Amino acid sequence: MEILTKLQILSDAAKYDVSCSSSGSTRKNSKGGLGNAAVSGICHSWSEDGRCISLFKILFSNECIYNCAYCSSKITNDVRRATFTPEEVVSLTMNFYKRNYIEGLFLSSAVYKSPDYTMELLIKTVQMLRENKFNGYIHLKGIPGADNTLINRAGLYVDRMSVNIELPSEASLQALAPQKKKESIIKPMSLIKNGIIQNKEEKMNYRKTPSFLPAGQTTQLIVGASPEPDLNILKLSEGLYKRFTMKRVYYSAYIPVFESSTLPSIQTKPPLLREHRLYQADWLLRFYGFNADELLNSNNPNFDLELDPKCFWALENIHIFPLEVNKADYTELIRVPGIGIRSAMKIVTARRMSKLDYEDLKKLGVVLKRAKYFITCKGKYYGGISINPISIKQVLLDRPESYSTQLSIFDMFPDSLVRKEASSNITGEF
Amino acid sequence: MIVYVYDGTFEGLLTSIYDSFYRKEIPTRITYMQEEQKDFLTTYINITTDEVKFNKVYNAIKDKISYHSLQNIYYAFLSEQKDCEIAIYNYLRLGFKIGKSIDGYLSNNNVLIINDFSRKVQKERHAMLGLIRFMELDKGLLYAKIQPKYNILSLVSPHFEKRLASENWVIHDENRNKASIYTDGEWYITELKLENEIEISNKEKLFQSLWQNYFHSISIKERKNLKLQQQNMPKRYWVNLIEKNM
Repeated sequence: MEILTKLQILSDAAKYDVSCSSSGSTRKNSKGGLGNAAVSGICHSWSEDGRCISLFKILFSNECIYNCAYCSSKITNDVRRATFTPEEVVSLTMNFYKRNYIEGLFLSSAVYKSPDYTMELLIKTVQMLRENKFNGYIHLKGIPGADNTLINRAGLYVDRMSVNIELPSEASLQALAPQKKKESIIKPMSLIKNGIIQNKEEKMNYRKTPSFLPAGQTTQLIVGASPEPDLNILKLSEGLYKRFTMKRVYYSAYIPVFESSTLPSIQTKPPLLREHRLYQADWLLRFYGFNADELLNSNNPNFDLELDPKCFWALENIHIFPLEVNKADYTELIRVPGIGIRSAMKIVTARRMSKLDYEDLKKLGVVLKRAKYFITCKGKYYGGISINPISIKQVLLDRPESYSTQLSIFDMFPDSLVRKEASSNITGEF
Repeated sequence: MIVYVYDGTFEGLLTSIYDSFYRKEIPTRITYMQEEQKDFLTTYINITTDEVKFNKVYNAIKDKISYHSLQNIYYAFLSEQKDCEIAIYNYLRLGFKIGKSIDGYLSNNNVLIINDFSRKVQKERHAMLGLIRFMELDKGLLYAKIQPKYNILSLVSPHFEKRLASENWVIHDENRNKASIYTDGEWYITELKLENEIEISNKEKLFQSLWQNYFHSISIKERKNLKLQQQNMPKRYWVNLIEKNM
């Protein structure tokens, strides 16, 4: 088979794998070698779906022995099949890297013959790359069910590894991917975590210890193929971050490819906005000091699609606001809608020199569109409306402010009604 | 009105700062354009670039203000924005007055303008690290053409020096007719204007079409979002991207 055809088949089959980050590794070039990691990671292009291309993302093979309901590589699906050779992957990776198309390789695979056999092939490929003095970034998928020794060996060649959790509950795994067992996913995760901890300790004792997964481990799960609400997903992520020191949990909106009684119908639109909300919440967990329980609870098990999670939380906890930007500490500032990590840092730095007023915030580049309803500057409030969740929500949702005053009578009604009334005001249909 | 005329180099600019300090005068503008005498009251002073003066100012900025500020003004200088010289001059005057704490005066106008220039250049530098595309020419030489908004050639070269250490490469800034050339473990910047078409190696076309192919098949059509693509990858870069020119 032509290399071009193989590439087509095996990159198409890899496109649903989300992780594309190339950050977190400080791998240095060796003498006569090719490649040198950039800690921040670098995006090299953006495909037509707007997602970044940083790593050369391919499956080694799509000839799968499993039959996971949602997967286009499943054994019962009629697709073109192909398998690379290690030499082909090495040549493509090194030639793409040399031309600065990519930051490194993301190598995954269907389960070809057996988990162990597949893992061996993947290891052979990354080993060959390193023997060819390739020092770019490599992200390798751990194959669930592969032997411990193989997972440990792979970690010595690559920067990051990930084992996909795929679905947010054991019941869904049982229903949609019966050949994947919870244990076969959790076990390698623990193994990787312990390997990283052990390697850190060895490095302290002996500087020249070879690195074991310097960029840590990640995982991915599918959103919308199974019935779990956002609350369960976010609690799961929180657990994964705490228990396995994950660098990232990726969420992939389910895109229906098959008609099946166990799956959402083929007409279902991929829940892209829901995926986006989960990512926003994920950020809040990792960088903003939030807990999953603060963002969702059994009364609100799913994110509001109209408001981002931080705004939603702020309106639920309006009694905390407004915050005085010259007094509030950093951990409070980052909880203000519209104020991110960078803005909060700038505020904390700048206010040491002089008290900040509203104009100063603008100069610092703080986006005040949302923030102004939740802060005061030198004691002055610039929101221009009363601080109650209902009127703030209306202006946040970009409904002209006149309605919030005009329609104060509707404050008692649910949102849907208010909006209907508001639009009929415009069109004059009473 | 006093106008300093320097040679357009960073060394020349820092020499101007030195001269202004010892001549005890404050220029209204610093420029490298020779211009017609505007009016009777404008005095033009030619600054002669001087290595010793440059080093003195360079080290003074590092020691008396901060390394961060030095980097900041160098980046601002590379932005080539209109009147960036006098903005740098004003920033340094403030810096020498208050020292290291200038990095914290984020709402001061002099600081703001330098931070803004510097940030724009840093942003483009980072984007270019990903968007530069090399082609393989005969004898394995790697050649990349770029057309950046800012003068980032000297900022991207160290990155490729580490990464493509055992290759020979050229990054050619077509807007400025300059190129960074790396060979025998060192890079230097020189004037470059290509007279004729470059000839690519015989394997080059294959890898270009493999890459274009990959670029196409990795995209998920159900998630098509061209606006997002353009937001992340501004149109002005497309002309030199192999994958956008199929």
